[in-house]
Amino acid sequence: MNTLKGTRAAIFFGMLPALLIYIGIAIIPIFVSLYYSFFNWDGISAKSAVGFDNYVRIFNDSVFWLSVKNNIIIMVTGLIGQIPLGLLLALLLNRKMRGSTFFRTVGFMPVVISSVMVSLIWGMIYNSEYGFMNALLGFFGLDSWQRNWLGDTSISMYSVSLAYIWQNCGLYMVIFLAALQNIPGEVNEAAELDGATGLRRVFRITIPMIRSTILVAVVYSISNSFRVFDLVQILTGGGPAHMTEVMTIYMYNHAFVSRQFGYGSAASMLILLFSLIVVSLVNRLGREKEI
Amino acid sequence: MSNNSNWFRVLTYVFLSAFALFNIVPLFYMIVDSFKTEPEYAASPFSLPTKLHFENYAKAWDIANMDTYFMNSLIITFGSLIITVLLGSLTAFFLARFKFRFRKSTFAIFLLGMLVPIHATLIPIFLIMKNIGLLDTYWSLILPYTAFHLSLTIFILEGFMQGLPKDLEESGVMDGAGVYRIFWSIILPIARPAMATVIILNFIYNWNEYLFALVLISSEALKTLPLGLANFVGVETASMTLQMSALAIALVPIIIFYLLLQKQLVTGMTAGAVKG
Repeated sequence: MNTLKGTRAAIFFGMLPALLIYIGIAIIPIFVSLYYSFFNWDGISAKSAVGFDNYVRIFNDSVFWLSVKNNIIIMVTGLIGQIPLGLLLALLLNRKMRGSTFFRTVGFMPVVISSVMVSLIWGMIYNSEYGFMNALLGFFGLDSWQRNWLGDTSISMYSVSLAYIWQNCGLYMVIFLAALQNIPGEVNEAAELDGATGLRRVFRITIPMIRSTILVAVVYSISNSFRVFDLVQILTGGGPAHMTEVMTIYMYNHAFVSRQFGYGSAASMLILLFSLIVVSLVNRLGREKEI
Repeated sequence: MSNNSNWFRVLTYVFLSAFALFNIVPLFYMIVDSFKTEPEYAASPFSLPTKLHFENYAKAWDIANMDTYFMNSLIITFGSLIITVLLGSLTAFFLARFKFRFRKSTFAIFLLGMLVPIHATLIPIFLIMKNIGLLDTYWSLILPYTAFHLSLTIFILEGFMQGLPKDLEESGVMDGAGVYRIFWSIILPIARPAMATVIILNFIYNWNEYLFALVLISSEALKTLPLGLANFVGVETASMTLQMSALAIALVPIIIFYLLLQKQLVTGMTAGAVKG
């Protein structure tokens, strides 16, 4: 009895520091943010309660809706670029073949590099005067395709997306590879006996077997696309003329550049809300299909 | 049939090579150009440098305060890494090996952290750090990095420890060892593979973090590598080759780190991903 009591205390005090740091810094601030979002406040002078004013103002701000649209572009291009490509790479690399370790290693490399470095490198590639992209097009005689990749408002958001896909594709490749390696060998043998080969086997057996991993990857990719900040902030700063501004930059600018902490908090609550809505929608769709 | 599969193999290699090139060329391009003079670079970003201009590196290292940034990144990365792994593994141990009230809800609360965007917490964290006088200190980054990486750390370690045989502790109990003794001398050594993955992941996340550093650090002397680099490039806009040298200086260590540990990282990632 005595030892049991001792154990309980040991468990409690053992987990306490982790819980305190985690709840104090990662959980409570969310509610504090929610609270701040109902105030007009620069962080120094007295707060003044404004009810839902901040939210009304945000909803009436066309720049905010532009940033939502840009987030959606990142989300959709990210999904299209990362999930099918990652899956294809994983399917190809899951077989015994020479060089698969090399391709795996190189494929995952961009994931390890900081977003700051990724954006600085791509900023140089896109440089309109002597960047690699225009030089490459010139080399193939496609001079007419050369352009100001980040400055041209009609494509700047897609240029950002390409860098984003470059950075993250390898992560999905590894996630899918893990799932594929977990499929028991008997399943493939049985499929072979039944005469299912090639693409048929991929679509009828392999992909359904890793369905839940694909769903997790889709959810992860979506919630990640709402968190994009570093890459865009350094690549374009949200410009030109807000054309690449995403919600996190919108929030950062209002909170930390123009010091409107209440307004910024409201924006940050919307980021949380939007990503939770989309994630739960995808989750529900995924489950319904299963039934 | 065999003709068919040969074609398939060729196509596979063509596709994979194209993908590998897509991943390598940007890095290669940057390293090649970092050795050129400015006119050489302006003339053609494609060509190889006529002579390796190492002085770019010396100059970039100097102007960009790379030594300061490296030092700060090391202190903050390892400071947070040690706390996260110690507290996280202890918590994971209790969650995985003991039955107690609120066990499930405690685990669920920790997992929640993987869904929370840090942006929703940024403003309060900034104000908290300001109010308790930690703003613009090493602690202002070490604490948030720890808080936000506890989730993944506990998730991976709990899963691993859960999978260990149930009678592992018995010999320890027979010898009269307390729970901490069992954790330290029995569970921790066995959990080494999962610990390695967690350590590498934490290292990479902490080393690369930018947004917290941007908001919470303002003095030049405390800037981390990503923050310092972003700043340097913003200031040194005239010299592209210098920018590239600074980038290469920051890039090469992380690439070497990755190549040395990639086997451990990728196996660990895959083990963790499957469970998720």
